[in-house]
Amino acid sequence: MSKYKPKLVCFSCKFSWGYLTDEDALSPEIENWVPLICTGKIDATHMLEAFKAGADGILILGCPEGNCHYQDGNYEARKRVYLVRSLLESFGIEKERIRIELSTDPEGKRIRESVDDMKRKLAKLGPAKKKSEEVTKARGGK
Amino acid sequence: MSKRITINPLTRLEGHGKIEVFLDDKGDVRDVYWQVVELRGFERFCIGRPVEELPRIMPNICGVCPTPHNMASVKALDDLYGVEPTPAAKLIRQLHYNAFLVEDHLLHFYILSSPDFVVGPTADPAERNIVGVVQKVGLEIGGKMIDVRRRCRAIVRHIASKPAHPEGGLPGGVSMGISEDDRRWMRETADLCVQFCQFSLQLFRQVVLDNKEYLNLVLNDAYKLDTYYMGQVDENNRLNFYEGKIRIVGPKGEEYALFDCHDYVDYIGEWVEPWTYIRLTHLKKIGWKGLNEDETTSLYRVGPLARLNVADGMLTPLAQKEFETMFAVLGSKPAHHTLAYHWARLIEALQAAEHMQRIANDPLLTSKDIRNMDLRLGKVGIGCVEAARGTLIHHYEADVDGRATKVNLIVATQHNAAPICLSVKKAAREFIKGPQVREGFLNMVEMAFRAYDPCLGCATHALPGQMPLIVNIRDSEGSLLRTIQRS
Amino acid sequence: MGKPKVAICWLGSCGGCDETIVDINEVLLRVAGAVDIVLWPVAMDFKYDSVKRMKNGEIAVSVVSGHVRNSEQEEIAKLLRKKSQLILAFGACACFGGTPGLANLTTKTDILNWVYRDAPTVVNPDGNYPQAAFRVNGEELTLPEFYGRVFPLNAIIDVDYYLPGCPPPPYLVMYALSGMLENKLPARGSTLAPHRALCDSCKRNKSKPDRISIREIKRIHEVEADPDVCFLAQGIICLGPATRDGCGESCMNINIPCRGCFGPVEGVEDSGAKFISTVASILDAESDEEVVRIVSQMIDPVGYLYRFLLPASILQKKG
Repeated sequence: MSKYKPKLVCFSCKFSWGYLTDEDALSPEIENWVPLICTGKIDATHMLEAFKAGADGILILGCPEGNCHYQDGNYEARKRVYLVRSLLESFGIEKERIRIELSTDPEGKRIRESVDDMKRKLAKLGPAKKKSEEVTKARGGK
Repeated sequence: MSKRITINPLTRLEGHGKIEVFLDDKGDVRDVYWQVVELRGFERFCIGRPVEELPRIMPNICGVCPTPHNMASVKALDDLYGVEPTPAAKLIRQLHYNAFLVEDHLLHFYILSSPDFVVGPTADPAERNIVGVVQKVGLEIGGKMIDVRRRCRAIVRHIASKPAHPEGGLPGGVSMGISEDDRRWMRETADLCVQFCQFSLQLFRQVVLDNKEYLNLVLNDAYKLDTYYMGQVDENNRLNFYEGKIRIVGPKGEEYALFDCHDYVDYIGEWVEPWTYIRLTHLKKIGWKGLNEDETTSLYRVGPLARLNVADGMLTPLAQKEFETMFAVLGSKPAHHTLAYHWARLIEALQAAEHMQRIANDPLLTSKDIRNMDLRLGKVGIGCVEAARGTLIHHYEADVDGRATKVNLIVATQHNAAPICLSVKKAAREFIKGPQVREGFLNMVEMAFRAYDPCLGCATHALPGQMPLIVNIRDSEGSLLRTIQRS
Repeated sequence: MGKPKVAICWLGSCGGCDETIVDINEVLLRVAGAVDIVLWPVAMDFKYDSVKRMKNGEIAVSVVSGHVRNSEQEEIAKLLRKKSQLILAFGACACFGGTPGLANLTTKTDILNWVYRDAPTVVNPDGNYPQAAFRVNGEELTLPEFYGRVFPLNAIIDVDYYLPGCPPPPYLVMYALSGMLENKLPARGSTLAPHRALCDSCKRNKSKPDRISIREIKRIHEVEADPDVCFLAQGIICLGPATRDGCGESCMNINIPCRGCFGPVEGVEDSGAKFISTVASILDAESDEEVVRIVSQMIDPVGYLYRFLLPASILQKKG
């Protein structure tokens, strides 16, 4: 278990997170970081592809309620997150593996903190059941 | 040196199966195994699904007889929700159900079974198909059959969506009503069905019953099996496909049991053998006694002949007359002659057609009161119908959110699985004698099997041309000794 | 030059796809006259051995329905691929895995234990389970090996064309067959059905408000749905927006919502994932509590979203 290093994908919105800092300076500290313009761009497809590609968890950092530059992108993202969580339970992927925070952090310091915090939680959960691998292996087996 | 005949795959049936025939040194049949080679797990993957989705999922069990699964499922939901469908909804459901039965039964008769009788069981295989039948009785008949099938399926589509996979049906009712315009063309279809069923029975009489050789075949011991029989009847012990109590009669005709479908677990046992995926049903209270038909047997049959054996009469007048004629000719009730399934099937189609007529003329059919919304979710729902091939039971259990937690299905062909093994064995023993394996034996063996219409009245036009069948005879090491080809 | 050879074969199929081929009625006889059907187990007595003896590519078109979940189905799929020029994946099971693909949420062991041990009617004192090979009276009986999961056809062999639906409607079957026989086909890999979503041709589309906004998700049996109004606008889950058009609205016409048997629209791989965005966009919920409440009313997301498509979904597909 100590060898397990959780792989976390972090999506964050540039309008509220780290816009006062140079992205290039922050990015070496944050593995699998996807800064974008509006969390409303994150489709359920992206979340599922992340797990398929080997992610153990997803962290989405969006703008505070009422402050989305595009009006309701952050609300849409949150609704999608809850729906995807509900779906993933059937695949044996725990709810806690996707988290969404709607807040602001212009310096971007808390990005790193949130990522680390979530990684600690993921470490306790263990690796996400890679259902696709499991089921491919299951051919001819149990 | 022992010999072995493998027939694989079995063709002109639903599902995938094979037959293994083992011969002894003299070339006589030592043993026969009818193996079903597939499994999908509906009873497990339906768990967690909202129960109202089950009538939409269950028809995927069989694309040839999807309506019975849809209907048994809907009735299980009625039971689960403690709701009685409105009278109009019941009529609409039964219209759907009977239209399907007519289509399915007639198709089996014309495509699968009639060739054996109209053209002949040992006739040239190239002619032993629907085209050969049509050549003998006339092209018009083929056209009429396609027309009846199309019309019946139009009724199914109108009430329950796609005929090969109907998804309609709600607890307490149906999702859509019938208009007066609809009634007109549906009534027309019902009338045509009654006519065509009567014609088909007439054809059967002409071709089979009036032909001494075929009549003897029907009464031949090789095609006889002494078993119990199961079917659904109403309060007057008349055959009812849609609802009633389950009745079982013994080989000598005595009533063995009459019970509500909720008690099915007390009566039906499913035995497991390592050489087949299908479970072998038998009478639980007697216990599994193996594949035999002597006085210790616990085997029972379902389907057309079984239902007519179980019932004291039919629901409708024309069918009733035919019912009486059949037993008079066969000489006993219950009749154990497996080939009589074909006859019984046509009589059932006639009842379904007459019932369609009755419903199509019922003023209540077009009522707008099609949903009983007084749903009270319980824990268990059990629905039973007589599918074309036999008694069908859907048993669901649900949680407080109406999600399925447990599903048990007893599917029509299962009841007949053990009897089919036995019938095939008997026929094989009768027609394979000595080391010289006769080329014609295959079809005579298949006739024993075909009579049950095992889960597939193949809905197709069997097309003209070659019908090759290859039998490989291997020695006990598996080396090929000889190949018989029928083409 | 002889007539083109055609094979119609079923793998893990319920037979409904064969029924729909017959539903083209008299047209079938014309087709039958124009081709040489060399395999059709449900209808004709040709055995696999006759196909094994053919030359590679001798069959012009193989119409294959059903998913793959046992060794025999895999074997036949590969045999037909070898012997055929074109393979048409016919029906939802061949295209995506189909309804039985839901079994991928369970395990082979779970299925076997229920069917042969735990079901209330089972009588199995010897603890028998079907065996891939079993000796009886000195002879060996074999059964195909049951796999741990369901695969769509393209996970096993290369597929040239797709025709979705459960089953595909007769008119599309006719187009596909005549397209194949007259050699008038789109690029390989195409789906032989309309490209857009079901909503495009649905009569209820006109009734859709500019913005659908629901506060409750309703189940079809708990309400008396209005037959002229968009299901989603009534709070009833309907997969129309994420589902390819072409079925003729068979379910809408009897006043029940779409469950997605035609699979994703052109250009989309996983319609279930896309539909999540659709649902999210119509939910009138802003606060956390509101979102949690209404999302919990969608009580079986995987069943609604992936009823026909699970084995082909992002999380389940191969690779």
